[in-house]
Amino acid sequence: MSSWTARAREFGLRNLPPEKLLPDSQPAYMTSAIYLFGALTIGALVTIIASGTILALKGPTWWHVASIGHSFNSIHLWSVELFFFFMVIHLWGKFWMAAWRGGRARVWMTGAVTFLVAVPCAFTGYISQQNFDSQWIATQGKDGMNSLGVGAFFNVLNFGQMYSYHILLLPIAVVALVSLHILLVRRHGIVPPLPFSDSVAATAESKP
Amino acid sequence: MLRSPMASLINLNGRASYIHWHFFLMSVSNFIVIVLMLIVFAVALFLRAPGAKRPKDNK
Repeated sequence: MSSWTARAREFGLRNLPPEKLLPDSQPAYMTSAIYLFGALTIGALVTIIASGTILALKGPTWWHVASIGHSFNSIHLWSVELFFFFMVIHLWGKFWMAAWRGGRARVWMTGAVTFLVAVPCAFTGYISQQNFDSQWIATQGKDGMNSLGVGAFFNVLNFGQMYSYHILLLPIAVVALVSLHILLVRRHGIVPPLPFSDSVAATAESKP
Repeated sequence: MLRSPMASLINLNGRASYIHWHFFLMSVSNFIVIVLMLIVFAVALFLRAPGAKRPKDNK
C-alpha cells in the first residue's frame, strides 16, 4: 500500500495534470471582455490582502494618525469596492451563461459561497475603523445579529472579536474558497457560451 | 491640508443624498455605482478583451 504522500500526488496529477493547471491556451470564446472579470476580481483581492497586511502590521489606529496610514486605508477600502464591483459583474456574466453546466456545479457553488463569506468579511471591516462611524454601525449590526438569534456568538460590539474575524478568520475563508474556485475552474475548463437554439441557428445559416 | 483634485470636484464630507420613492430608499452614491455596474456589464458583453485577436474562421 502506497503512502499518503504518494496517494496525494496521484490524486493531484489525476485531477489537475500540469497542462490543465497551467494551460498555455484558452478557447476562442474567452476573447470576450466578460471573461475578464474573474481575473479582475482576483487582482482586487490581491490588493486587498497586500494593503490589509500592511494595515495589520501597523494596527487599527494607524490610519488616524499618519497620512501614509490614511493612504493605505484608502487603498484597502477602494480595492474592496472594486472587488465587489468586479465580482458582481462576474456573477451576472456567469449566471446568464448558466456556468454550472457541464459538471461545473462545484465551480458555481464555491463562487456563490465566496460571495456570501466576503460580505461579512467586508462588514467586519466597517466596524474595525475605530471611529464614530464604526460605533454607529456596530450598534445597528448588534440589533440585526440579535434578531437572527446569533448575538451571543457574534458580538459586533466586541471590537477584538470582530477585528479577529476581519483580519484572520474570514480572509482565510475567502482566500481558501477563491483558491478552490480557481482550481475547479482549471479542472473543468472555462464554461462555453450557451448554444444557439435550433431556430436561431437556422436563421443565422439562411443569411448570406 | 493639501486636498486631492477629486475631493475638490466632489465634496464627500457633506450629508448623503437619497433617492426615495414609496418603499424604495437608496443613497445616490449606491445608485450611481449600481448603474455603472450595469453599464460595464452591458459593454463587456460586446467588447473584445484587450489584446485578444479575432478567432480564425475555420470554413
